Amino acid sequence: MASVAASAPMPAAGRRGFRLRWLGEALAHGYVWAWLAVFALPFVATLAYSLRTPDGEWTISAYQYVFGSFTGNLLLSVQTTVITIVLNLVIAVPAAYAIVRYPIPGKSFVLSTLNLSLYTPAAVMGVSLVIAYAFLFRIPQTMTGLIAAYVVGTFPLMLVPIIVALRDLPTVFEEAARTLGATRMQTFWRVEVPLLGPGISAGILLTFVIIFNEFLVTLFIAGPSTTTAALRVYNLTRTAGFQPSTAALATTMQLVSFVVVLLFFRFFGSRYLKGTYLI
Amino acid sequence: MTHAPAEVAIEYHIAESEARRRFGSPRLKGLALLAPAVVVAVLFSLIPLAYLFQVSLTQDSSFFFTAQYTLDNYREVFSRYRSAIVVTVYLAAMASLIDLVFGYPFAYILVRKIRYREFVRTMMTFPLFGPLYLAFGLFYILLPNGPLGPLFTMLDINVAQYLFSQAAVLFSMAVFTFPFMVMNIGAALSNVDPMLEEAAKTLGAKPWQTFVRVLFPLSWSGIVAGFLMCLGWNLGVFAQPQLLGSPAEQAVLSIQMFNKGLVQFNYGLAAALGILLMVMAFAVTWISLRFSRGALGA
Repeated sequence: MASVAASAPMPAAGRRGFRLRWLGEALAHGYVWAWLAVFALPFVATLAYSLRTPDGEWTISAYQYVFGSFTGNLLLSVQTTVITIVLNLVIAVPAAYAIVRYPIPGKSFVLSTLNLSLYTPAAVMGVSLVIAYAFLFRIPQTMTGLIAAYVVGTFPLMLVPIIVALRDLPTVFEEAARTLGATRMQTFWRVEVPLLGPGISAGILLTFVIIFNEFLVTLFIAGPSTTTAALRVYNLTRTAGFQPSTAALATTMQLVSFVVVLLFFRFFGSRYLKGTYLI
Repeated sequence: MTHAPAEVAIEYHIAESEARRRFGSPRLKGLALLAPAVVVAVLFSLIPLAYLFQVSLTQDSSFFFTAQYTLDNYREVFSRYRSAIVVTVYLAAMASLIDLVFGYPFAYILVRKIRYREFVRTMMTFPLFGPLYLAFGLFYILLPNGPLGPLFTMLDINVAQYLFSQAAVLFSMAVFTFPFMVMNIGAALSNVDPMLEEAAKTLGAKPWQTFVRVLFPLSWSGIVAGFLMCLGWNLGVFAQPQLLGSPAEQAVLSIQMFNKGLVQFNYGLAAALGILLMVMAFAVTWISLRFSRGALGA
């Protein structure tokens, strides 16, 4: 009986309503897809530009610079990113643990102090550090200074997902392990760290995406020997104009970042990124 | 053989008191775990900012020789650089407003109608790789012989006129901060029960009435949080006006600061500009934290 009802001609008004609703749905999805195109367009354009010669031929010759004169910058980027991630972990994991599991006097004040650099505009951080490095700490244009700036700027981002993950984690696992005779260290490494995995990896992803592509603080404090790949893109754009070789470097940077993000979403989803820098 | 509950409690108590003897009170241990983070934040964030404030009160670069304390830098900031302040606030507010107007429908559709949310989230990470690549890509698109040149010619749009224009700067700023707006409004909207919209509709409300009377008040917190977050990011904008704007018209505070400090070595003035920008950004953050009662509830 139901099939007969469905195949019967609809009243004109109902059909129009259906058509309007279908149109509304199509417009809604179209709107989202249009924005997704806007997001991807600068990348696609950069990719296209890196593959063209001035005569309009297609070539990958611009990428020889990525594996030539830009290799040092890329390696420096990878190196600083990895060091920053390791230091962030060393600093942020105990701090998050202390904030969630221990009584800290003036907890909200401490958290605001830790997050201070998160609220400071990058250019202000850059100018304050360039002055402090040159005249107070005496470490101008050094790798040490660069790493310190990266760590202070991103460890709060590492802190947030780990705090969220620790809050979600019931203390029963910890208590069970302790009751069964595990020491605090054993409990931490064998029980809590595996359970905190997604939260910690969210922090690693955030640090990676930001530091790998950071150029503004770097512009203020880096020297000729500490030019990261992102800063090289900026410098080349300012001095040499828009060159296919620069486009090739920018494409490589974005592609690496995007693949890492894809892999992360594939393995961990985006749950622990909520409320942080990335969605 | 199982322990009786009381026995376990006693053993646990013993273990706990032993730990206490070896490591001190939990409060001390918590502080010890927190120490590295606090040291880093104080050394490389708090002290440089305090130092910046001190430098901002000195004439030119005199601080590093014989410091001459003065308020001249701030006087100059509010007289000669008033236009920089105005253009910074104007661009940031406009870009955030564009985000709000276009981001609200986006967030609504994302929360209510779309099942492929992970895909949309993944695509939305592109702008977050940085305003630098965004500005670079847009520059090429706006070139007369750019990749979309034939399309623009067909539509009879002269895109090249937007190169080095305010419109291009605003557009790139809005695209960069768009995900922050969508994230905040989306979070607020996903807490709104769809039944409420259905109820309003059943009771005869028109779509705009449902929006004004039901959705808007219920997602207000997300709108405020999103707008302030975008504003905070946009106040510190640097790459977009530098690459897509004109040096005279879109000379925002960050760019002026870079030019004064690292090109002309007028550290006093650069520091004063930096302090002003920092105060503006902190004010925005403070208001937004007041509204959200602290993102971490701490």
